[in-house]
Amino acid sequence: MVSTPKREQARAARAEAADREPHGWLGLVFIAPSMVFIGGLFVIPLVMTAWMSFYHWPLLGRRKFIGLDNYAELLGDTQLWQSLGFTLLYTVLVTAAILVVAFPLALLVDRPLRNTGIFRTIYFMPVVIGFGAASTLWMWLLNPDSGVFSRLLLGLGIVDAAPRPLESFWPALAVVILMVVWKTAGFTMVILLTGLQSIPQEIAEAAKIDGANAFSRFRRITLPLMRNALLLALVLNITSSMLAFDQFFIITQGGPENSTISAVFSIYLASFSSYRLGYGSALSFALLVVLVAISSIQLSFMRQRPEEGR
Amino acid sequence: MRKRSIMLAALILAATSSLAKAEEVTLWVRTSSGAVLQGLADKYNASHDDKVVVTQITAEQMVPKLGAAIAGGSPPDGAVLDLIYLPTFAASDSLEDVTDFVKGLPYAEALSPSHIRLATYEDRIYGLPALPDASIIAYNTELFEKAGLDPKKAPASLAEIVDYAKKIRGIGEDTYGFYFVANSGSWLIYDFLPHIWAANADVLTDDGREATIDTPAMRETIAAYRDMWSAGAVHPTSRSGNGNNAVEAFASGKVGILMTGSYIVNLLTNKYPDVKFDVAPIPGPSGGVSSFAGGDTLSLMKGISEEKKKVLLDFVEFYMQPEQQVYITKESGMPSRTDLAGEAYAQFDKRNLVAYDILANARTPYTFSSDELFVSRTGPFLNLIQGSIFGDDVDGAIAKAQDGFSKILERTNP
Repeated sequence: MVSTPKREQARAARAEAADREPHGWLGLVFIAPSMVFIGGLFVIPLVMTAWMSFYHWPLLGRRKFIGLDNYAELLGDTQLWQSLGFTLLYTVLVTAAILVVAFPLALLVDRPLRNTGIFRTIYFMPVVIGFGAASTLWMWLLNPDSGVFSRLLLGLGIVDAAPRPLESFWPALAVVILMVVWKTAGFTMVILLTGLQSIPQEIAEAAKIDGANAFSRFRRITLPLMRNALLLALVLNITSSMLAFDQFFIITQGGPENSTISAVFSIYLASFSSYRLGYGSALSFALLVVLVAISSIQLSFMRQRPEEGR
Repeated sequence: MRKRSIMLAALILAATSSLAKAEEVTLWVRTSSGAVLQGLADKYNASHDDKVVVTQITAEQMVPKLGAAIAGGSPPDGAVLDLIYLPTFAASDSLEDVTDFVKGLPYAEALSPSHIRLATYEDRIYGLPALPDASIIAYNTELFEKAGLDPKKAPASLAEIVDYAKKIRGIGEDTYGFYFVANSGSWLIYDFLPHIWAANADVLTDDGREATIDTPAMRETIAAYRDMWSAGAVHPTSRSGNGNNAVEAFASGKVGILMTGSYIVNLLTNKYPDVKFDVAPIPGPSGGVSSFAGGDTLSLMKGISEEKKKVLLDFVEFYMQPEQQVYITKESGMPSRTDLAGEAYAQFDKRNLVAYDILANARTPYTFSSDELFVSRTGPFLNLIQGSIFGDDVDGAIAKAQDGFSKILERTNP
């Protein structure tokens, strides 16, 4: 944007006036609440975590400055590397599963049918439940002795004995992924829906007249024009999956034999099972670095051709 | 109208001024002991101006919450803790020294010995017994008869438990011989370790500084459990169970032998009077008996005011009186004072005495890292049980546990 010198002058004059008058403080007053929130809930905890990570800091007893010892230890911490590997596996699987479910849902509710509103609401509903509550709910559903799932499967004669998915790795992971897809697919659906609805009707119609069938219209028009919506959905899903905690803490509790401990879970264990708050802080920082790296790669993808999809 | 409102104001004033004089003390209690302590607090509050306010905390959350509250400078006035945590809190200088009070009690000699032992750190005492209990086995005498076993003869060794469990499993489709809670560390130290102790072995050295996982007693115990599991004699919920349904499963009459604790006797006779059962001490692999001397200890938080200290100690003296000791025995199966056993047990089922008699052989691990070693769901002890009993690699699971214990002890030994 190019501004004329006249406009520039007027702006400078206004700014000067604002500086002289006490009203300039008004701006600060307006942003003060969010500054307080960001400062109190983000900046201060972040600085404190960094500070604590240089200490041997037990829950009970005295703390001791140990420099970089915590960071040296985490490099050789097999539990940490295992849980990072597990978290990556989970992230890939759950993100794929969510997209596979959410995309068709978005296509379904995109049509201007009579009851679309109701279906959109139904698919979105689990999103408003907290992860902790949803996990607890699924624990009840999955209970082999009294849960709905085992009664249903037994009643239908699909299985002979009540299924106990939490006793082995893949079934336990599958159950968690199923729960997360049920809970979050609706949110991804909404993001994809906004992408779908921003595609001009004319393009699709023109392609139709040109003889493109439904599949090639989807591949050549819908998909490329939804690039940004898809990328946004990916970034959000990957970030939240990398931070997964509640579902493993509540449903699998890290089992069987510590095979489903996510990265955040291992921070929790260091801090509140081993009571090593300093080491937990160092782990948090390591995870922060990993997350920033992953997110910046994703964001650079998004920035490449920002105008696409409009 | 006006008169009435003046009277009302006067009443409110009178009420608030009398309240202001009375002390109110806060007491954190783990959920499993919540009902009994709430009952005692209600009795106390009804007869005293001072008030004891009980807050229930989930057992696994007690240490982190209390630790955070202490670190944050806002702990409760007192806490009723699982006795196994006393060394940890006492060593970190978080508790009020009550040595003089304990020694001054006329019944000091009669306080539950393992509570006092665990509450003692560097010759000072930091807690008072609240609720004691001991682990035992309960068995369904009806199922014993059905399986052709003598209901008057309790299994005297783990080998006999295996044999009996398989026979009971033979009765039919959904009847199981054995139930133990395999997915909760606090249940496992309570019910599994006594097998090892009964054979005079242990998983820690006496000073609690080194791990001794790989013993013949451990291997024989694991072998016996594996045998029962592979024979299908163990109730399937045992493996992933956290203990919530254990008593119900036994009460349903479909479980032959349940690994449990002293509270089971009065719980079953009160809530499930139709169940025919008996109890016995926990045997070792080829004989001998032992038990986990467990329960709760009341501690005062370091630095509380003299007034609050007085109220809490007054509350302790209150519940140590015969009437309350009978109530405690009724609710949790055992009195906190050994000299009142006769009186406390007089009106209850004689089967309560089995647990009381075993206390002489009972142990409690004295350790500074019980949470990390034993209680944690991701800790080495729970993984040892899960891996060696339900997994394929016993040697690997034992080696891993020894390694896991050693690493934690190296780091946490004071």
